[in-house]
Amino acid sequence: MDIRFEKVDFTYQPNTPFEQRALFDIDMTIKEGSYTAIVGHTGSGKSTLLQHLNALVKPTKGVVEIGDRKIVPETDNKNLKPIRKKVGIVFQFPEAQLFEETVARDIAFGPKNFGVSEEDARKLAEKMLLQVGLDESYLERSPFELSGGQMRRVAIAGVLAMEPEILVLDEPTAGLDPQGRKEMMEMFLRLHKEEGITIVLVTHLMDDVANYANYVYVLEKGHIVKDGEPKEIFQELSWLKEKQLGVPTATEFAERLVAKGISFNSLPLTADELADQLVMLSGGHANDE
Amino acid sequence: MMNKLILGRYMPGDSLIHRLDSRAKLVASFYFIGIIFMANNWQTYLLAAVFTLFAILLSKVDLKFFIRGVKPLIWLILFTVALQIMFTRGGEVYWEWGVFSITEFGLTNGVFIFCRFVLIIFMSTLLTLTTPPLELSDAIEYLLRPLKVVRFPVHEVSLMLSIALRFVPTLMDETEKIMNAQRARGVDFGEGSLIQKMKAVVPLLIPLFVSSFNRAEDLATAMEARGYQGGDGRTKYRVLHWHNRDTMVVVAFVLLTIALIFLRS
Repeated sequence: MDIRFEKVDFTYQPNTPFEQRALFDIDMTIKEGSYTAIVGHTGSGKSTLLQHLNALVKPTKGVVEIGDRKIVPETDNKNLKPIRKKVGIVFQFPEAQLFEETVARDIAFGPKNFGVSEEDARKLAEKMLLQVGLDESYLERSPFELSGGQMRRVAIAGVLAMEPEILVLDEPTAGLDPQGRKEMMEMFLRLHKEEGITIVLVTHLMDDVANYANYVYVLEKGHIVKDGEPKEIFQELSWLKEKQLGVPTATEFAERLVAKGISFNSLPLTADELADQLVMLSGGHANDE
Repeated sequence: MMNKLILGRYMPGDSLIHRLDSRAKLVASFYFIGIIFMANNWQTYLLAAVFTLFAILLSKVDLKFFIRGVKPLIWLILFTVALQIMFTRGGEVYWEWGVFSITEFGLTNGVFIFCRFVLIIFMSTLLTLTTPPLELSDAIEYLLRPLKVVRFPVHEVSLMLSIALRFVPTLMDETEKIMNAQRARGVDFGEGSLIQKMKAVVPLLIPLFVSSFNRAEDLATAMEARGYQGGDGRTKYRVLHWHNRDTMVVVAFVLLTIALIFLRS
């Protein structure tokens, strides 16, 4: 299932003095099976864009096509549930959405809303809890007695339990420790690779973009200012710095080596690529994984 | 959803009304509600209406925001007016059916009540549109000060008030976020039967309460860490100043009162 944006505009509180335009003329395609990253400054409209992906908001102009459903400004709020089942969103700090008495019931809440039977939802809850790295002993505990990181995992499991085709992640690792962050990102990558889930990642961490994404949209003040594969985006470091966007650590380091006179064919994005290129430069053979 | 609510909202500006002392504005608004009940004929209502419109003009806020402020209450107003018209007897009778009747007195009374409602709403909207919430709470604190004599915890109440006001926008944001997150998990807010609607609120209310409690705890710790120990010996950073223009407001209201007393029948 693809998601396509065609000339999408969005304005908050139109026709009031508090009117604020958040998105301008957005054209964007999220292809089935892709791992798309959306980056941009705080307040560039990323979160607004993200809410269009499952029709939480409707464009004030233009069309959003989600699979075969067309969302236009006139679309009414009925029958959007099928879309929401297919597009799961993990919002920033998703632990704030937990409310049930037990972890199991909270994870099963989403599936049950979409008509899954009590029993199946329960099974899904168990499966997803393992998926996010917690064991069965957590099933009957109250979500409010867990640590912040564990609550985050439960919340994410709650979204995964809806078995979405497209998974939208809004800074899923913000506030997690390095280990938890890595585990989370690896889990999303596994879902992407093994189960073919399309992933849309909104993040400030360029290392995550370089490591995982295969397409990038750069957003600035509500406009898409650049899009392409990470390889292309991260070649123009001065442009990125001018836009106050970060650069992957490996690329940053490679750039310093360039300044010292070492030349690369193309700037490496990840530590692995950097190591390969350095080995090649020093006369060795890069090992093909 | 909450965007439509104009009542209780602040609109930044730099007009004469915006710059008035918040104490003057607060007292004046309440005073206006009091003296509007002195009006009892068309001259007095006209005077009150002209006075209100003049104040609105001075505030340089578009009149349509005030009209929008009336909208949420329009059914209540119309209901009251309708009751007034139907059940007031006296003067010439135009129509009668059982206990219902439309009479001359009923009609004039209805119109007066309508004016009274609209003018009161206009004035209170003017107060909130031109006064930042924190200044309002400062004014309330100042005006409550005499109550210290009867051991009323003025400082605590005003602190609660300013914290509450400070967190209204934060809580609204939070509500919106949690609502979105739950909608993404398949909750339909405001759809289905009354019972379904009420059930749908649970996944919204529980997280909101939980986050409010967490926030309160964090805030209390942060306040203690910064040396807060209660009201004794604390100084004020936001100081209210009384200017000549504020005295003018008092004079204007005194004149209005005198005029109303003369004109009422």
